Amino acid sequence: MNPRERYAAVMHYQPRDRCPIMDFGFWDETLPIWQEQGYPAGADPDLFFGMDPQWRSCGCIMGLWPPFPGMQLVDEGETEIVQQNDGVIVQRGKFLGSIPRHLRHTLVDRESWNAFYKPRLRPDDPLRLPSGPAWEMQLAEWTRPERDFPLFIEGGSLYGVARNWFGLEGISAIMYDDRPLFEEIVETLADVVIAVLEHVLSAGIRPEAASMWEDMAYSGGPLMSPKLFKQILVPHYKRITGTLSKYGVDIVFLDCDGSIDMLAPLWLEAGVNTMFPIEVGKWKADPVEFRRRYGKDMRLMGGFDKHILMHGKDAIAREIERLAPLVEEGGYIPMPDHRVPPDVRFDDYLFYLNEAKRVWGNGLDNIKPTGRPV
Amino acid sequence: MPDLDLDQLYFAIIDGNAKAAAAVTKEAVAADVDPQTLLTDYMIPAMDEVGARFEANECFVPELLISARAMKAGMEVIRPLLLGKAVEPAGRVVVATVQGDLHDIGKNLVATMLEGGGFQIVDIGTDVSPDKLADAVQAHQPQLIALSALLTTTLPSMKRMLDRLTQDGLRAGVKVMIGGAPVTQDFADEIGADGYSDNAAGAVNLARRLMDAAA
Repeated sequence: MNPRERYAAVMHYQPRDRCPIMDFGFWDETLPIWQEQGYPAGADPDLFFGMDPQWRSCGCIMGLWPPFPGMQLVDEGETEIVQQNDGVIVQRGKFLGSIPRHLRHTLVDRESWNAFYKPRLRPDDPLRLPSGPAWEMQLAEWTRPERDFPLFIEGGSLYGVARNWFGLEGISAIMYDDRPLFEEIVETLADVVIAVLEHVLSAGIRPEAASMWEDMAYSGGPLMSPKLFKQILVPHYKRITGTLSKYGVDIVFLDCDGSIDMLAPLWLEAGVNTMFPIEVGKWKADPVEFRRRYGKDMRLMGGFDKHILMHGKDAIAREIERLAPLVEEGGYIPMPDHRVPPDVRFDDYLFYLNEAKRVWGNGLDNIKPTGRPV
Repeated sequence: MPDLDLDQLYFAIIDGNAKAAAAVTKEAVAADVDPQTLLTDYMIPAMDEVGARFEANECFVPELLISARAMKAGMEVIRPLLLGKAVEPAGRVVVATVQGDLHDIGKNLVATMLEGGGFQIVDIGTDVSPDKLADAVQAHQPQLIALSALLTTTLPSMKRMLDRLTQDGLRAGVKVMIGGAPVTQDFADEIGADGYSDNAAGAVNLARRLMDAAA
């Protein structure tokens, strides 16, 4: 069973030899700090930690095209003010792993939408819909029958990117000040995604899953009301998942941090059937509880509380064992519930991985060893 | 102006209707209604109601923000009039995101809700060092400090800030409340903070309790 077959089997509750061994990556600071604890400088994390092939995606342009020119506007020493490729002016730390602080947004109203964003979101832009020799080569790689790794395709974002462009306060106000504009933005984003999906999937690519991103929840719940979510977003999620389904892509996972309890059933209703990364947080999300609540209709990826990695080997081993029955049941690929932070000790992470490979991976020989020489 | 219905101000804020909130406030002022009455009997109770709905998941961040905007629209009308009266705020709060953290969404939400609750806000920004916090406490003499952190790696900054206040002899005169995604009541207890809230609306109730306890 190769990794492609294994991923598909797990997500469809079919027989398989073991669970895929995957992760969500690391904070920028984590690997440099781990070098002082034994991680080899320059090592490729996937190779060193012995991960299965993961996160390989058909590169599609579903965002702004052309992007805004990214540039530094002010050098403040440890921080800098930059214009990002999405047109947002932010202050960010040069050395901190913090989330940038939004200072100014180019998108503020219908006028700025029409002037700066809508022209960058043309579904029929030929640069989104590649052709020519380079595309043919890429296509050949993705469509070859012997491809042995799971391939994902982007499924876009209907709220998250717009929230980034407006800022939270801006998009919250637009929902009420100019609801038709908010609806138009959501529809445009879906139109772009569907146009690209049609182009790529009609060329014969058959990815194992589609990946969407929103990050539209915080510790207390969603950043918009489930009622508006259902009225405005769900119909367009359905258009996207319907397009995917037409080409046989029946696993759609969505990346949303924070407490997703109120949105998860609505995503499920819209055909988004896999929750990721199931951030545990202080709201105590639990993949076992999600399965109990929604049954096998809802697949799950993630859900291993990264904070447990800081609580020592006994706690790590207990959590791995606790999740093992869900892994056995299928439709679930466990991994840390977000990037591993630098306050996790390197040897504890190695212990976690070895235990995960032993328990979730059934200790099989086809698992790559942890700590390969560089 | 006998047909002036001040409940319209209350409902305009709950509905997030800034234009209506400003208009009713102007009418009330023109009719010689005491601005303090508008603030304490209509505006703050409206924001309290919005906060209660928020905590009950009956409204969400967008509704909270547009209600706060409506209250601000009303406040713009009465602020010049309140300046002439010796109106005491519910309390003075220094708000900050701790050192190492640049995010400000949570801090701003808390500041907005506290302002809606009648508190005076001194926002000293993000990535705030213990030195800067101590300076702000000396300069503004707040009754409360509200600290926010988004990242687990910046949680130790909260402890350092409290230690610095203690070291400078400022800790006894001020209550410290903390919040943010990785913050818990256990953590608040561990570092000796006076209170913790897991959401912006709850922060207002917490601030009032801390003010009462200090009285």
